Amino acid sequence: MKRTLVAPFAMALLCGLSTPASEAQEAKSVLPKYASFAESKHAFDKSVAPLFAKHCNGCHNAKISEGELDLSMLNPDMKESTSAGRWALLSKMISQREMPPEEKQSLAEADVKTIADWISAEMKRSGKHFATREAYANGNKVNHDKLFDPKFEANFDSPTTLRRLSPEIYAAEMAKAPGVGQPFTPEGKTTFRDMGAPKLDEPTTALLIRNAIQLAHNQTNFKIENGKMKAIGNLPQEFAKLLDENLPLEDAAIIAAVQKQFASVLQRQATKEELSRFTALFHKNAKDAGRVLGVRYSLAAIYLLPESIYRWELGSGPVDDQGRIRLTPREIAFAISYALTDRRPEAWLLVDADKGKLATKEGVAEAVRKMLDDPKLKKPRIMRFFQEYFGYDKCREVFQDVKVHKSHDPRILVEDTDRLVEYILEKDQNVFYELLTTNKSFVAYKTAADLKKKRAIETAKFEENKKKDPEKFKNKKLQLPGRSIYEAYNLPDFPDTQPIDLPAEERAGILTQPSWLAANSKTDENHAIFRGKWVRERLLGGVVPDVPITVDAQLPNAPHHTLRERMKVTEQEYCWKCHIYMNPVGLTFESYDFLGRYRKTEPVLDTEATAKNVNKKGKSLGPIFKDLPADAGGKINESGDPAIEGAVKNSVQMVRKIAKSGRAEQVFVRHAFRYWLCRNESLGDGPSMQQAHQVYRASGGSMKALIAALLSSDSFLYRAPSPETPKAD
Amino acid sequence: MSMGRRDVLKGMTLSAGSVLLSPILGKLHAQAQGRPLAPKRFVFVVESNGVPPQHLTPSGVTRQTRKQEAGGPTALVDLPLADRTLPMSLEPVARWKDKVTIVQGLSGRVCGGGHSNNFQALGAFGAGRSNGGESMAIAGETIDGALARAVPGIFPHIGLGISKRFENNVIYNISATGPNKALPTICRPDFAYSTLFGSVAGGQARQEFQARNNLLDFMREDVRRAETRLAGEEREQLGAYLETFETLRNRQSRLNEIEHTLREKGPVVSDKYSSQVETDRLDAQFDLGAAALVCGLTNVLTISSAAGVRDFDITFRGLGLNVDKHTIGHGGSFQNHTSSDLYNIIRRYHFTLIAGLMQKLERVREGNGTMLDNTIIVYLSDGAEGHHSRCWEWPMVVLGNIGNKLKTGRYLDYPGYGQRGHRTTANMFVTLLNLAGSDRDSFGMQDTGLRDFDQHGPLSELLA
Repeated sequence: MKRTLVAPFAMALLCGLSTPASEAQEAKSVLPKYASFAESKHAFDKSVAPLFAKHCNGCHNAKISEGELDLSMLNPDMKESTSAGRWALLSKMISQREMPPEEKQSLAEADVKTIADWISAEMKRSGKHFATREAYANGNKVNHDKLFDPKFEANFDSPTTLRRLSPEIYAAEMAKAPGVGQPFTPEGKTTFRDMGAPKLDEPTTALLIRNAIQLAHNQTNFKIENGKMKAIGNLPQEFAKLLDENLPLEDAAIIAAVQKQFASVLQRQATKEELSRFTALFHKNAKDAGRVLGVRYSLAAIYLLPESIYRWELGSGPVDDQGRIRLTPREIAFAISYALTDRRPEAWLLVDADKGKLATKEGVAEAVRKMLDDPKLKKPRIMRFFQEYFGYDKCREVFQDVKVHKSHDPRILVEDTDRLVEYILEKDQNVFYELLTTNKSFVAYKTAADLKKKRAIETAKFEENKKKDPEKFKNKKLQLPGRSIYEAYNLPDFPDTQPIDLPAEERAGILTQPSWLAANSKTDENHAIFRGKWVRERLLGGVVPDVPITVDAQLPNAPHHTLRERMKVTEQEYCWKCHIYMNPVGLTFESYDFLGRYRKTEPVLDTEATAKNVNKKGKSLGPIFKDLPADAGGKINESGDPAIEGAVKNSVQMVRKIAKSGRAEQVFVRHAFRYWLCRNESLGDGPSMQQAHQVYRASGGSMKALIAALLSSDSFLYRAPSPETPKAD
Repeated sequence: MSMGRRDVLKGMTLSAGSVLLSPILGKLHAQAQGRPLAPKRFVFVVESNGVPPQHLTPSGVTRQTRKQEAGGPTALVDLPLADRTLPMSLEPVARWKDKVTIVQGLSGRVCGGGHSNNFQALGAFGAGRSNGGESMAIAGETIDGALARAVPGIFPHIGLGISKRFENNVIYNISATGPNKALPTICRPDFAYSTLFGSVAGGQARQEFQARNNLLDFMREDVRRAETRLAGEEREQLGAYLETFETLRNRQSRLNEIEHTLREKGPVVSDKYSSQVETDRLDAQFDLGAAALVCGLTNVLTISSAAGVRDFDITFRGLGLNVDKHTIGHGGSFQNHTSSDLYNIIRRYHFTLIAGLMQKLERVREGNGTMLDNTIIVYLSDGAEGHHSRCWEWPMVVLGNIGNKLKTGRYLDYPGYGQRGHRTTANMFVTLLNLAGSDRDSFGMQDTGLRDFDQHGPLSELLA
């Protein structure tokens, strides 16, 4: 059982390994071009078919057809058949080393390239573009070196998208109204929350409907006073006219109301055809449900239109010579607005779109820069990127007993790290490097000054009272207000200035902030595996396979050992295949405890002393702990960057090394790409990715420049249309 | 007073609403005429923070605390409850002692453990990732989701519950129909009311109902129109949206058909429906749940009492206990009550509500008996056997026997983990599926720690 399960995981593991230098060399060749099927078939027969015969046909033939794939039936003419989808899947399986299976002879890297190149070239010839990216959580599987190799060519395959609004957009645009609830829940399976494309289910739609009716109710609320209608709240004239049962329900009045609602909800005018359908709905509803209810339910429908619930990024217009279509100016305006603000575009941006200012790359970049430079425009999505990328805000979800840990307050820890990120963004220089290396920190920056003052007053009062009545105060303890957050930073008190410099040998950047460390901890101890997984995936761009289902991944319950000692069990051959990616980098954080406090020793149970700690009757008086040296040694391994590999004495040294790596900087750009494009990258995004990285470098590490580059990149602005897209009428 | 559904239904045949006999109404009709028909209903009451096994022993039973490891007792304990007193927390259901089965000793080691097992509790699956448990992963269907497919009603599944946060409305915590397909738990009784009984609520009910139908019709048409212009993934996206409108519209029609029943048997909204007090809201949810079963809106009901890792540390202020369940779990006392007392007091409150539900079902005649005869209520905790669950044991209380298919009125205690005759929660869930008419013999994930055991089949000791 174990044997068969190992294979796929071990295979997935291989994908996490860095690409050998030789492969990078090979990747520099240019994709072949076929003018006709005859040319393509010739290449197929000459170089691809023999590889299939040797490695694949044994299982994928007419008789056995494993995985329902019979290669002899897979038509190599993608233009004249519908086989392109299956070829795309095949290309993915082979490129990501999921096939051939582990127990069979593997394909040489050059052979993989031969097959993948032929598939790409035939797809290009036949005008079929299939997205091959992984939807969820494993964007790193896309080969890093190829992605950043300017000579490597791959089809542009940025997919058209239709995604429901994010919970945050819905909240900002609709759910702030009284009585309106949040219908959307993030999927939680993706690297970034907005990346998935969750489908709507019935309970969600039921809540959307309830919300829509409530919103329409809020818009048309009134009471009758002295026989006259009196508005409650803001009741637009266009709606008020329809509500009066004494007035006839005229089409012109309905049209005015529909246009008002379209402008408010969709920021556009309704078309003739839409007006005609809505007019019919108003009449029918008024007849069946009376004027007031009828109007409300009709206005509610506009909140439920697919255009109101979904983000549309389909593009329109002619296909260019690279097989791409451009998003419409209006789609671009919405896309860049949602990318930064959670809100629909401001009026000026839609005007710019109408005037054709978003028709060029530079025009879009300029609009983005204008938004980034506008201090009045709230841009919550930028901070959210850093929260989601680092995940330090998750420390609020790790259960800690605040009655036991009296100085711990996860909310304040997150606020402080947020402020640190903001501080670095304000300077906007070497952002990635600074995030990883700064030894500056904010410490309860919102409340420190105030609490310090209050504590001084309380202390003085206590001392005074004690002086007056020493007997009464003999056994009393001074209760200081607020939580001693500074303890998490190993400080003796709240600092007087913010930010302060912490000892550079103890702290380096976000990964040594108590919020991040606590977020990657358990309730009562460090979680070296989570910490290591984060470094492996988010800094080094590697892949850690999922825990095989057959593994009961529990560390031994041995409180008399250090965590490092208990993790020895993961060094068995079967476990080490995965743990090699986590332990060496994750254990470097052992110089902090689960609340983020720097430490030189680790407390473990002293079994002998505990056994002796009994009362006269032999009943235990509780556990006794002893301190062992905290060993934070580790190494940077399997990183793909020889310059940074090797032993490190702790996490501070490790992150300082990684921060200097150009490759790690590229991995950071990859994550920013995923966040702002709401999807994983594919090799076709190589040029956009490379350019974004170059811009970041050239700007001296400016986040603003990086965001503007991503939001005006080809990957952001263009789409590869699905070949079967019906033409709009 | 016992109001027969048959009486209500006989009246319905004379009304205009019943001109179109739907399959459901047809079924009810058959039933009203006394023809044999066996509807089966399943109710899960899931309370957070674990159920310590020693709290469920009846009088005269001493149960050794089991170690959190493999091994332990080798024999099955099977005792009648008839001559024993139920434990303090179960006293409210003493009237139905012959229908009560206390089941101890089942394990659920595939689940991660921790403060809550979330979806894993009713799913008998693991998350494949151990972080001290508490994973929110949904690796497959949960038993209520599976039963909803086996015995579908107008609403295949209704999830009601309370959250520690008043403002939380629809949450996803313990129920699912498949991998990553969570079923909602509605935490606001007033919202649950409008969802389930809104079609007949208020003076404008009829008009609202009609306007809602018109709205759904319009949306179906509009989304379909948009869908035809798309392809591939985008088409699927809108297809899913369209399907939700189809489902809702179809449900409207079915609600229309049983409108009279809803009017007659629907609950009366009180202050409890929007109360800030947790116990009031739980009370209201039991009220709604009972009405939903009586009106035939569903056959599968899950009531979540702050289940799930995000809510487990709720405070039951309505019981005068100003101490949260986390503190209680860590041995916290309150006003001379020990932690165990507090556990029992809170559980007893749940059994008072369960007793209320049983009473309501018992009042409705069905076939030759009452609705209660065709209903099974399973009480358990998403936190298995304790505050920090490790799932070596998973105590449950089963109430009812679905047409005498279960041997009830007993105290069953299975042998320890890995001992011959040991069984898991998955076997309990298979038992329920079999009662629902399914012939499945496994559920959830196999426990690799029991790889030498046959983990298939129902709990034969429970079956009549």
